Amino acid sequence: MPVQVYSLYIFDRHTECIYSKQWFQPAAPAPSALPSTASDQHRPANGTDPAITAVEQPPPAKPRRNKGGDDAKLIFGTVFSLRNMVRKLGGDDDAFISFRTAQYKLHYYETPTNLRFALLTEPGALSMRNVLHQIYINLWVEYVVKNPLSPVEHKGGEGVRNEMFELGLDKFIRGLM
Amino acid sequence: MSASKAARSDLLNDGRIWKGRVDKVNAELVVLTYGTIVAQLCKDFDSDYLQVNKQLDKMGYNIGLRLIEDYLAKSNTMRRCSNFRETADMLAKVGFKIFLNITPMVTNWTSDNKQFSLVFEENPLADFVELPDDGRAQDELWYSNIFCGVLRGALEMVQMQVEAHFISDVLRGNDTTEMRVSLIRYIDDELPPEDD
Repeated sequence: MPVQVYSLYIFDRHTECIYSKQWFQPAAPAPSALPSTASDQHRPANGTDPAITAVEQPPPAKPRRNKGGDDAKLIFGTVFSLRNMVRKLGGDDDAFISFRTAQYKLHYYETPTNLRFALLTEPGALSMRNVLHQIYINLWVEYVVKNPLSPVEHKGGEGVRNEMFELGLDKFIRGLM
Repeated sequence: MSASKAARSDLLNDGRIWKGRVDKVNAELVVLTYGTIVAQLCKDFDSDYLQVNKQLDKMGYNIGLRLIEDYLAKSNTMRRCSNFRETADMLAKVGFKIFLNITPMVTNWTSDNKQFSLVFEENPLADFVELPDDGRAQDELWYSNIFCGVLRGALEMVQMQVEAHFISDVLRGNDTTEMRVSLIRYIDDELPPEDD
């Protein structure tokens, strides 16, 4: 089943965002050609037709565009708190898997080495845990960790954005859509 | 090289799960490569064996920091060990098995479960090796000291600070090759920096 993937964030054990990539915006902004009155007309119909509201409703996520760094920080803060809360309530082996809003679903995956993956998809997506696990073992370990010239610590994302990883990741994600 | 990379991305595209595939490398190549490194270190440090031990440990540490990720990917156990005893077992029976095809024995636990020994019945690094006959190497050089560093680096990445050192080696004429591993502490998760 194809799934819309919006973006991926990777955080290292020092809580730094060492990789992020956008594919699509959640709820793409209305095309500029669309007269503003059109979207006003549709607003009362909010919730009855998701396809229309998704396109024409002024997207609440619009300001995120220019603030990639802030987004990453906010996302990390959120998933970190959720993970800690889940562990507190459910025991150390319990894992926070995903949360969903009207606009998107955030899938979370953490390795025992405290590498954290956060993937944003359309709200209706099924579990992407396996996808994130595959990204870790087939792309991260193969192309970033095993690259002998890439540093062990990826401060500022150093050594992550190599061609093999970028191409492999893009191919893999586009294969899902 | 490019053929294997292409095959790998095919696996990805098919959506098949890639696991259990372990590349093999000629054992003698490993023995000779490692031997050459130790010999070169002995030369570079003018047979200061304590320095050589230290350098081997350091090299192992840097290997361990990376190797742990490969271990997690290959062993397919994405779960954290529940205690240090389990860690020791996984290390011996899965880690050493995957990378060296040996299974050292886990033994001599202290009563607080924080210290154990790994006894190596076979040691693929030490085939064909004789320590230098200068009257000091037998007492000072820990030939396989790179293992200590690998364990230290790998366990540090999964939040365990350990100390590891050899206490006997058949190369020195001891009956067994034994490494002592002690858990110092579990490392806490790092917290995100406070916002201003």
